[in-house]
Parts: sequence; structure tokens; C-alpha cells
Amino acid sequence: MAIGVSRLQESTEMKGDMTPMIDVVFQLLIFFMLTIKFKLLEGKLSAYLPKDVGVNQTQAEPKEKVEIKLKVEREGTKLMPDDSGAPWSGEGAYKYGPDRVVRYSVGPKSSNEMREIVARVKELFKIDPKGSVTIDPLPGTCYSDVVKILDEVILIGYTDVSFIGDKSALYDKK
Amino acid sequence: MKLTKSNASDEIAMDMTPMIDVTFQLIIFFMLLMDMSQKDLETLVLPKALSAEEDKPNPLDPRPVINITADGRILVKREVYFDPEHDDGYKKLKEYLLMRARAMPKAPVEPGSTIIAPDKPILVRADQSTPFKHIQKVMEICGIQDIKIWKIELAAGQEKPDKDAEEGGN
Repeated sequence: MAIGVSRLQESTEMKGDMTPMIDVVFQLLIFFMLTIKFKLLEGKLSAYLPKDVGVNQTQAEPKEKVEIKLKVEREGTKLMPDDSGAPWSGEGAYKYGPDRVVRYSVGPKSSNEMREIVARVKELFKIDPKGSVTIDPLPGTCYSDVVKILDEVILIGYTDVSFIGDKSALYDKK
Repeated sequence: MKLTKSNASDEIAMDMTPMIDVTFQLIIFFMLLMDMSQKDLETLVLPKALSAEEDKPNPLDPRPVINITADGRILVKREVYFDPEHDDGYKKLKEYLLMRARAMPKAPVEPGSTIIAPDKPILVRADQSTPFKHIQKVMEICGIQDIKIWKIELAAGQEKPDKDAEEGGN
């Protein structure tokens, strides 16, 4: 009799239905797999800070550098960051409209057209492909202005790109 | 008759344990990975760049990620490290970068150079409309004698090249 009861209990334990749990687990797995993809769509642009300023007191070996200056001539209208073209609501993130004018200078060459400056930098790259570029964003420039020119410089082929900081701009509090 | 009964009981006894184990491991892995990336990356509108390389951070060797919003607030792992409204002279950010720089491996800045500095980069993520002076300030702090971080990565959205356009330029 005792043997019969224990056999019955064993068979009851075997019948535990795992299907709902597996369903939930798979749903969770699919959710995490889908959401995690969105965080990996970013890229990065590598650059350097001056090695002879702040890093060490010793003078670095002087090198021929291409210096690109950025100066904002017209700030432009602020628009919503999506592609709707709607004016900025006054809260949160914004982007500048197509009427924003940035003047780029490379040596004596100066232009509002990115294409002209890129052509000049390409000429300089042909002369010295191992040279380096310094980007000097003047007060008023924003992150996207700098990324645009940095992107072009990297596409031309320069690998040594560094920044100059205008310290007067750093302490300018609005 | 007996043979048929034993076959039926074999089908019920199919062992799901290894599959459930593996599935749970995967869920834990994705949860941890997602949590870390979300903490590091603030929601910002990044400018797009054609030359942006795919960012593949090593989860076992996390690098400092500095987020800068359009209004100049500096955030690290969702915590505000500098707020222009409550200027503390970037004290908290300096302390953080100093701590991270000390933990980084050091190497000469160029082959044969006597200048030794941290050999790892920091990632700066800023909103597309963030005034560049805020990023310059972070760069300036990186250049402080005790920190000496000189490798910098600027985050940008990856832009697919336009096959129709032969010439680059805006």
C-alpha cells in the first residue's frame, strides 16, 4: 500500500507544466535582444589633445600643422531636433537651421563653404600626408560645427587631429 | 501492451532544465549589458558623421563617458557632475577624471617619448547644439598635470554614405 502511494506522488510531480514560464522567459529574451540593439548605433571620432600643453613641461618637437579655424558669422534659427523643420519650442534640445553661417579658415584661405575648405585641406594633405591638423573652434561654435569639419578631415585621410582651446571662451558664462 | 505504456512515460520525462538554464543566463547577460549602457549613455541628439567608426566598448574595461547636454550640464552615469546653474568650479568632474586617470594604464605619448600619460581615451558625448566651450572645458580638465588624458573620442551618429553623391562636402 505504501509503495503504491509513493509511486502516485512521483507521477504527479512529473506533470508540472513549464510552458507558461518558458513563454514568459522567451518574451523577456526577445524584448532585451531588441532593445539592446538601439544603444549600439553610435559611432565615434578619435582626436587628441595637445601633448605639450598641460601634459609635460618639456617642449614638443615643432611640427608643420594645418590649422582650421571656425567662426560663427550668423547663429541661425533654432529648430526642433527632429526633421519637421518646426521652430524650437524653447524647451529641451534644438538644432540650428540652414541659415546658420560658419566661416572656416585654413591659413589665408577663408570661406563659408565647407566644400572650398575641404578642397584646400585635400591639397595640403597631398603635399604632406603625414602632417597633422589642429581645429580651433572660436566662441559661438557648437558641437555639430566641430564634428562636421572633424568628419571631413578624417575622411581626407588625416589621423593626427587635435584641438586648440580658446581659454577666453571657457570662462564666458552666460 | 507494456511496451506502449513505457514509451508514453518517456515522452513526458523530456528534460527542459538545460534549455531554461541557458535562457536565464542569456536574460541576465542582456539585462546587465543594457543596464550598463543605459547608465553611461544619456539621451542626446548626436550630430552625424560619415567617418564615425562603430563604437565597441569593452564591458570588462569601461572607459569614462562624459555626457554634455545642450544647456551645459555634465553627466556621468546619470549623475550631474557639473551644472552651470550651481557652478562648483568643476570640482566633482576634476575628482572623477583624476580617479579614472590614475586607474588607467600608462604609456609614452609617442614611441621613444619620455612623456608618460594614460593610454586610454575618454568618450565625450554632447548634444549637437551644445556650445563647444563646454567640451573645451572638459578637454582643459583632461590636460591638467595630474590627469594628463590626451586621447579623446567624440561621439557621433553613424551616417551611411550617399552613393549618389560623388563629392563630399556640405
